[in-house]
Amino acid sequence: MAFHHYHRATSLEDAQKTLLSHPSNIILGGGLWIKKSNAEADTAVDLSLLGLDQIKETKDFIEVGAMVTLRDFETNPAIQQLGGGFVAHAVGHIMGVALRKLATVGGSVVAKLPFSDVITPLLTLDVTLVFYPKKEISLADYLASKGKSKDILTHLVIKKTKSVGFFKKVGNTALDFAQLNIAITHEKKWAIALGSRPGVAALATQAMDYLNGCATMGAKEIEKAAELAVEELSFASTTFASEEYRKTLAQTYVRRGVEEVLANAR
Amino acid sequence: MLVNFFLNNHPFSAEVAANDYLLKTLRDHHVTSVKNGCNESSCGACTVLLDGHPVLSCSLLTTRVEGHHITTVEGIPEDIQILSDLFSDEGADQCGFCNTGLALAVYALKRELKNPTDEEIKRYLVGNLCRCSGYQAQFKAIVRYVRNKQ
Repeated sequence: MAFHHYHRATSLEDAQKTLLSHPSNIILGGGLWIKKSNAEADTAVDLSLLGLDQIKETKDFIEVGAMVTLRDFETNPAIQQLGGGFVAHAVGHIMGVALRKLATVGGSVVAKLPFSDVITPLLTLDVTLVFYPKKEISLADYLASKGKSKDILTHLVIKKTKSVGFFKKVGNTALDFAQLNIAITHEKKWAIALGSRPGVAALATQAMDYLNGCATMGAKEIEKAAELAVEELSFASTTFASEEYRKTLAQTYVRRGVEEVLANAR
Repeated sequence: MLVNFFLNNHPFSAEVAANDYLLKTLRDHHVTSVKNGCNESSCGACTVLLDGHPVLSCSLLTTRVEGHHITTVEGIPEDIQILSDLFSDEGADQCGFCNTGLALAVYALKRELKNPTDEEIKRYLVGNLCRCSGYQAQFKAIVRYVRNKQ
């Protein structure tokens, strides 16, 4: 991406004022994906000095600053505990350490990156996005929203869970984008998210509702849920993987994921 | 715009454009040990240390380095000598293009991970690609360095 000016914001107010001063202006996250874009901006606004690189843990929540790097996120003790470590595992296998020390949690989420191994596991948890000046929205609602917001993501608030989550990224090598990624949790209710289909991660709500309504959980019920997830979500072909292959992967890993989550809960 | 930072513990100033990346800035100033491999944040050849942690200089805006410490292989000569000897001993050198970035990542690994397993070492270095070798000889040399078995 080409941009002509760089502005290191001194406050969130200053950041938004600069962002709004030209329609092409952008907020920098880690700056990795923006670099690959062909778009042009007048000014890139940097939030580096605003203290958004901190993770705070309270009794029930983990508050993650938008500028926390993926590396600092995956190595944080609270994140390593979260859901038995399935989020830390997912994020800790994105490319190499040197990339993860630049890429930010906020940048991955706010850009709705479709291949993201950050969004998919977070989508199965209770996650609230906090925007400046004044907006709070669930991650699921944000992903479903259209258009580009001029509000600035400052924090993600993650509700803690004790249940052990499942995450699987399918790729040929460690550096590949996911051909499909799948995350599943079960704390009172089921949550099943599939990303890189190749669209941005989405919840398989019909499969979730079906499992939530099941009195007993046998092989038949689990297979039915996996079928529902494949039917309700959209899959398409890319150079990485065909639609048919993605659907096969989805059905297989939703089944295995539910089985694994059940086994870990016992 | 003028950017001031520390390069291998020495004050360093550079006049850069708003969207210049550190890889370009360093190479423009003849710090050519930092290699331009893919320029796509995928290969690790451009790895430098930012405040002691490996980062991809191809994707780090130079303006963001203001006030920070950048380390290249020139800044860690003793460890580089040890690593060079181990690489030579294990026959791990071929074209050498990836060596500097890899060496910095390995240097950081040794300081960051306590008693890492083979698997943890491999995982830490997954972003540093070598297109010549099969990684085996390098891995033997790296394990000796990390476990102080010169």
